[in-house]
Amino acid sequence: MHWKTRSRLTGWLLGILTVGFLLFQWAPMFTMFTLSFAGENGGTTFPMNGVSLHWYQKLWEADLFDDFKPPMLRSFLLALGCSATTVVLSVCAAQAMRGRFRGNGLYFYLLLLGLMAPGILVGFGFAILTRLLGIEGTWNTTAYVVHVSWALPFGFLTMLAVFNRFDPKLEEAALTLGADRVTAFRRITWPIILPGVIGTALFGFSLSYDEYARTLFTVGSDGTLPLAVMAQLDRQLTPELYAIGSVTTAMSLVVIALCSIGFWLRARALRGRPA
Amino acid sequence: MSTIRAGSPAAFWLALPAGLWMVVAVVLPVLLIVWVSLWGGQSVSPDSPITFDNYAHFLANENYRWLILDTLGQAAMIMAITGVLGYCIAYFLTVKLTSPGWRTALFLAFVIPFWTSTLIRAIAFVPFLGVNGLLNQLLISLGLIERPIQAFLYSRLGISMAQVSLYTLLASGPVVYMLSSIPPALREAAMTLKAPPIIVFWRIILPLTLPGIVIGQVLVFLNVLADFITVTTVGGNKLAFLGNLILLFYEGSQIRSTAVVSVLLMILMLAGVAVALRVVDIRKLGS
Repeated sequence: MHWKTRSRLTGWLLGILTVGFLLFQWAPMFTMFTLSFAGENGGTTFPMNGVSLHWYQKLWEADLFDDFKPPMLRSFLLALGCSATTVVLSVCAAQAMRGRFRGNGLYFYLLLLGLMAPGILVGFGFAILTRLLGIEGTWNTTAYVVHVSWALPFGFLTMLAVFNRFDPKLEEAALTLGADRVTAFRRITWPIILPGVIGTALFGFSLSYDEYARTLFTVGSDGTLPLAVMAQLDRQLTPELYAIGSVTTAMSLVVIALCSIGFWLRARALRGRPA
Repeated sequence: MSTIRAGSPAAFWLALPAGLWMVVAVVLPVLLIVWVSLWGGQSVSPDSPITFDNYAHFLANENYRWLILDTLGQAAMIMAITGVLGYCIAYFLTVKLTSPGWRTALFLAFVIPFWTSTLIRAIAFVPFLGVNGLLNQLLISLGLIERPIQAFLYSRLGISMAQVSLYTLLASGPVVYMLSSIPPALREAAMTLKAPPIIVFWRIILPLTLPGIVIGQVLVFLNVLADFITVTTVGGNKLAFLGNLILLFYEGSQIRSTAVVSVLLMILMLAGVAVALRVVDIRKLGS
């Protein structure tokens, strides 16, 4: 066989493998999504027994025991707080890295540690810490601290990458023209790094919103959405869980789509501007 | 010259909040786990004498020793599968696929699930793998099997399928990054010198992407070792790995045993990372 034929053949084989894996990756989510529209007597597997919005309606009118709305609100607020904090800390930390302070090599590894340390260990360790200090864990104190420590390394790496590609001549020009450092940062640096900042905010939000292990150990009595979902799964698997799963997945997808559109619009606006 | 002066005190003060946050939320808790795992005596308190008895006690149990091996075995299996699969996908997306539109579309289809909840994705495997699940229906309608396979759900097979689905991106991502940073001229040079494609791959492409492979393998290793969510949701309560044992002990308020398993898990992870660092220098990746 000629090597070109063979090369094309490998291409097709790898292509089939890739598409096969993608189907395998999406099929469970698709199953969950479909079954969330099951009829009133529908079970958690096929056949569907009718098509309805019953389970979404049940989600909305939930009674005390399986009401997902308060945990969802807590998760949302926690994710917002985590996102804002991550942005501030990551930008400061990455800007500091440019200033090459003493021990910045060690500092880099310190921040990466949060990426390597598994949630189950961080959560458990933090639970010990709060217990020794006699602090009661809640979703907006202890869980918040741990969530930020999870999102921070991702934000930090994003911002480092952004600053790596950043052209310092632009700042130099501003400083030479008499701007002080704060003004130069606010007027020149900040607008340029803004896409990276949005990426960091997105990391901060979605990592916190989906976090389970770290929350489990640190949240106290009022849980977040992933905990409520897991608790419901322990009690009974109903199509209602599929409905909530579909809702949160759809929400994540909408957030990604909005950010992508934002990036695209910005890129187009920048291209259209005269140089 | 930039908005921050090299070695200025401002840099130090800017670095401080994030550094302190990580010390309080990650370093200190991990050190506390090590300390608690050494507590001995009757009462569980900071006044306890320091001892290695907890470890001796834990490791004396044959079931627990087996569980450690079992967890490592599971990790090795998932690493092998996601490694090969992830490399094939990365190679197809970056090298074989030439249409930019298709590349973006398939790449997005590959990455987007990563941004959604792992827990939800794991739960979604229940109706997919179940007796009346999509997979069984598909296999029956294709005539491959006659009766639904029960062993998909609440079994090691099911857990492994879910883990492969969840972690292949981790193995693949770093390889995509390494592959796309190889200049095309290298391949062309080798081809001009009459190297057959298989040799080009084996002697040039593979060595250049090795750091990516290793990083991906480390990520998968760490994630499988610490994974307890997939194991509980897809595996039911029939199976347990080290992560589940941590949770089990914690729920039983056995703080010292929880700490012991946590430290063992930590040691396994550090050993894995150390082995990986001997193969590649992670710091060179950024340059």
